Amino acid sequence: MAKSRLRPFIAEFLRNYSSSQLGIDLEDRIHRAIPELNASGYDPWGLDPKTVHLAASFFSILYRHYFRVEVEGTENVPAGRAMLIGNHGGQIPLDGVMIAMSMLIDANPPRIVRAMVERWVPVVPFVSTFFIRVGEIIGHPKNCRELLNKDHPVLVFPEGVKGSGKLYKDRYQLQKFGTGFMRLALETKSPIVPVAVIGSEETYPGILDLKPLANLIGAPYFPVTPLFPWLGVLGMIPVPAKITIRYGKPMHFDLASDAPEPEIRKAVDKVKHSLQFEIDEGLRIRGNSIFTKAAK
Amino acid sequence: MKKKTTGESTHSPEKKTLLVTGAGGALARLATKVLATKYNLIGVDPRPLSSNHHFPGDFFQIDYHHRQMTEVFRNHKIHALIHLGRIRADTRTSANFRFEMNVIGTQKLLELSRAHGVEHLVVLSTYHVYGAHRHNHSYLTEDEPLRASQTFPELADAVELDHAASTFLWRYPEVRTTILRPVNIIGKHVKNTICQMLRGGFCPQLIGYDPLMQFIDEKDMARALILALDQPIRGVFNVAGEGVLPYSKAIQLAGALPVPVPGFVGYPAVKILASLGLGFPPHLLEYFRYQTVVADDAFRKSFGFVPKVSDPISLAALKSQRNPVVEQFLQGRQRKDSDS
Repeated sequence: MAKSRLRPFIAEFLRNYSSSQLGIDLEDRIHRAIPELNASGYDPWGLDPKTVHLAASFFSILYRHYFRVEVEGTENVPAGRAMLIGNHGGQIPLDGVMIAMSMLIDANPPRIVRAMVERWVPVVPFVSTFFIRVGEIIGHPKNCRELLNKDHPVLVFPEGVKGSGKLYKDRYQLQKFGTGFMRLALETKSPIVPVAVIGSEETYPGILDLKPLANLIGAPYFPVTPLFPWLGVLGMIPVPAKITIRYGKPMHFDLASDAPEPEIRKAVDKVKHSLQFEIDEGLRIRGNSIFTKAAK
Repeated sequence: MKKKTTGESTHSPEKKTLLVTGAGGALARLATKVLATKYNLIGVDPRPLSSNHHFPGDFFQIDYHHRQMTEVFRNHKIHALIHLGRIRADTRTSANFRFEMNVIGTQKLLELSRAHGVEHLVVLSTYHVYGAHRHNHSYLTEDEPLRASQTFPELADAVELDHAASTFLWRYPEVRTTILRPVNIIGKHVKNTICQMLRGGFCPQLIGYDPLMQFIDEKDMARALILALDQPIRGVFNVAGEGVLPYSKAIQLAGALPVPVPGFVGYPAVKILASLGLGFPPHLLEYFRYQTVVADDAFRKSFGFVPKVSDPISLAALKSQRNPVVEQFLQGRQRKDSDS
């Protein structure tokens, strides 16, 4: 079968490229970032180091050559448990991938970020399996609590699908934040690190959201961009905007996890403001061109 | 009452008496070997004992909900009961039969236990009661809602059995009740669906889905049962082996061949096969689609249980029982794969 012969070849190429051309020893970094594996070779959440290696090899090429990612402030992510709060946008979770890549290849020591994914993901074939193998977890509060208690960095997009599905005209305007993440952070005593991703919200410039079609296929939204769905698969190629990731200072809150909702809301707003500050700062530095970073 | 005494009816008065249901099953076989040294054993099972099975005590072939069960309790002073006799859902048993045996039968056993002053009760349930649901988070704890009957009415009997035992546990504290919900039990003697598939050599797999699974070796499970009997702890406990692994990895470790099946073929095919009494029950298919991963911390901590047989070893052990022709074919394939 042609397919089965081609697959190892592609895998080999990707692994070699990341180590020889990009000079990243992914295998070593992944090995250092995974705390425990069982006898069958998986971590307690179903993460498979081999799949992570392959996926990271592919995304490292996107990371370095396509989106030319620049990272600031990885040292702001504390060792041990941490909750990363990011802005969500651009239809597919490239922002999450790029944050995970930055923590894996640009942070020292390397970390594997556990993103909380949408709860409709398990029904999607292949995607659901892939997510689990690379360490992403279904966004259930109990999963989040367990991961934080085991000192993993957890990535949450409090905007949820309202964020990722937002249109081009609304880019970088944070949508309503849920408060669940704050209660979990308080309960597990996890510091909160705002993570601003600049550029990702331009990768799929949504013009329209076809809600009825989305409902039909059971998706949360159906974006129409200048290229999608008109060009089919070609229309799925993201705009090569330059991506900058800015990690803000870790935030601690002196609040009980069962504090009344208005108090929690106040704390959430503080996180939202500092995230918006990082975004605005990043946008200001970037200037008008989405493809290059202007001089400071 | 068909009684079959297998030789040594050496009921010593200083030993306590233990009633084992499902006495003809694989787990009973493994556990009673050890338990026979501590207890006088009485075994019951609706099925006859297989010819090579030597039960170390008195054996009666009766249905659990039959009034002859009362006779067993009247004629013997039973101190402890270990209920392993849940009838598994397969394509050859009807839902009605399973309801009679699992729900009515279990209730009968519980009532008799209380009436006749049984001190300790161990009930074997299953992790299936949590149900394979797409919203399942990882590491379901014992207080999680039992979703199985909501999604699959065919599993109602298993959930009801569990409920009946849990209600009994809280209502009658004078009987020390321990309920175990083990994950997939695998081993040479076990005949559950997943074991049969992995042993058979060809494992259908829904295309695009590869859920995490947990396994426990039959020897470890037998040890868990003995621990549950030994220690004065009551409650409901998940029991698992040492880790999680995807279904595809389990197939690989068992040296079997995955057979990719698209969902739109798989679901109707399983239903048709089931109606012919072949294959496996349709509701089980969901467990090959969504993960049902349970937390066993409570059992490990309370009972000091540590599984001894690792998943790769117990899965690989299934190879030895495979049909030699199939095994040769599979090995040939693997050799070809590694050459190319």
